[in-house]
Amino acid sequence: MRILILLLFCLNITYVNADEIYNLLKIPNLEIFKLKSKNNIRYLNTNNDFKIGVDDNITCNKTKKINLDKKFPVIEKNLSLYNSNFLKKIQLKYIVLCEDLFISEINTGGIPDTQKRTLILDINFNQKYFERMIHHEIFHMIQSSHQNYFDEELFSKLNEPNFTYAECSTCSDRLNLDLYENTKGFLTEYSKSIPSEDMAEIFSFLMTNKSKVNEIIQEDNILKNKVELIKSGLSKIDNNIL
Amino acid sequence: MIKTVKASLSEKILFIFLICLGIFAFTSFFLLKNKCLSVKEVNLEKVNFPDPENIAIMNVECGNVVIELYPEISPNSVERFKTLINKGLYDGSAFYKVIDNTLVQAGDLEYGKKEYLDYSKIGSGKSKLGTLKSELNDDFEFTEGSVGFARSTEFNTEDSEFFITLKEIPIYQGEYTPLGKVIYGLDILERIKTGNKAIYVLRPDFINSFKMLNAN
Repeated sequence: MRILILLLFCLNITYVNADEIYNLLKIPNLEIFKLKSKNNIRYLNTNNDFKIGVDDNITCNKTKKINLDKKFPVIEKNLSLYNSNFLKKIQLKYIVLCEDLFISEINTGGIPDTQKRTLILDINFNQKYFERMIHHEIFHMIQSSHQNYFDEELFSKLNEPNFTYAECSTCSDRLNLDLYENTKGFLTEYSKSIPSEDMAEIFSFLMTNKSKVNEIIQEDNILKNKVELIKSGLSKIDNNIL
Repeated sequence: MIKTVKASLSEKILFIFLICLGIFAFTSFFLLKNKCLSVKEVNLEKVNFPDPENIAIMNVECGNVVIELYPEISPNSVERFKTLINKGLYDGSAFYKVIDNTLVQAGDLEYGKKEYLDYSKIGSGKSKLGTLKSELNDDFEFTEGSVGFARSTEFNTEDSEFFITLKEIPIYQGEYTPLGKVIYGLDILERIKTGNKAIYVLRPDFINSFKMLNAN
């Protein structure tokens, strides 16, 4: 019996990953980059490539110092727009900085995980719209933690009756992030992919270029209603955002 | 007729050297085996604790570890901790999770006791008092000797297990409920048996007794 217990123990033995960050977030190869900030966000840097998720479907590479030095101030500046109370409510505490983030072999700017209060950010993603991408990904955390405030069915009904979104964000070729000259209810082509991406696009513009959005909605009623729905949801979480 | 051969000076020196080496090896074996050697023991009677109501004494193989509890930071959790201490439920609890120079963890009252150690379930035992709401504190720094309530991957699952940090772990700040700090005996905790490369310890060390100072 003793031998059997010993054998079972040996089989079930877990090797130490004497890494407290891993034990907390279940992401390997991370190190503290910046622990203290005004809004309590903690920045973690990737010091070696990692694979996580089901069948290791999420991969990201270690950061290069030159890229990190260039991008971190941008990331920090944009995240400082959110207060700690709001971040707590949307369950965001850790920002994981890495390069070339892929999910199921599709390159993505960020992967939010409200359960672990973590947002993995690809610091190399879309140089042109990098700042907007940060807020776009944050919206996914907002929506994920407050689904009832951002009802997708209700939001979809704000579009023209003949418009339909794609089945999923990656099964559409509507990927362009440039601002439309003639919006007609959508700020970018990517907005047309699925409702949550449409909302995230609007939110990202509101955070980075609010005056432009205000100007557009003077002429675009559909967008005006969409903006109001998003603002209304946000005000229920925190009055100081937007 | 047998002719006696006298040892030369160099042979005598070599012989004495070998005897000295033997004595040194023999004594070293017994001295090194004693893991509690050179541990500083605190004389509790000579220490004047400013807040004796919140001092807990954990006795382990190498001596007493003195912990100051912080009810003002985590009132409900400290109250639970004291309840379990006063009931003697931590006595015989295994330090089943020990990460070398990082932390020690004990307090599984169901599957991690000296009289009943179940390696297949250890870490999942309950106190039968129910789980507690996490009392997180963004200002409490988990420096070496910090005592925190352990939890599952979810918040609000604290029950009876606790850990003590052997080094500063900044990432724990605001993540775990603080219970207190070790004020004497950190070196005693450093002698607790580790699992080498395994996170769980086979044939672990145990808490001999855990009492509040006033109960002594």
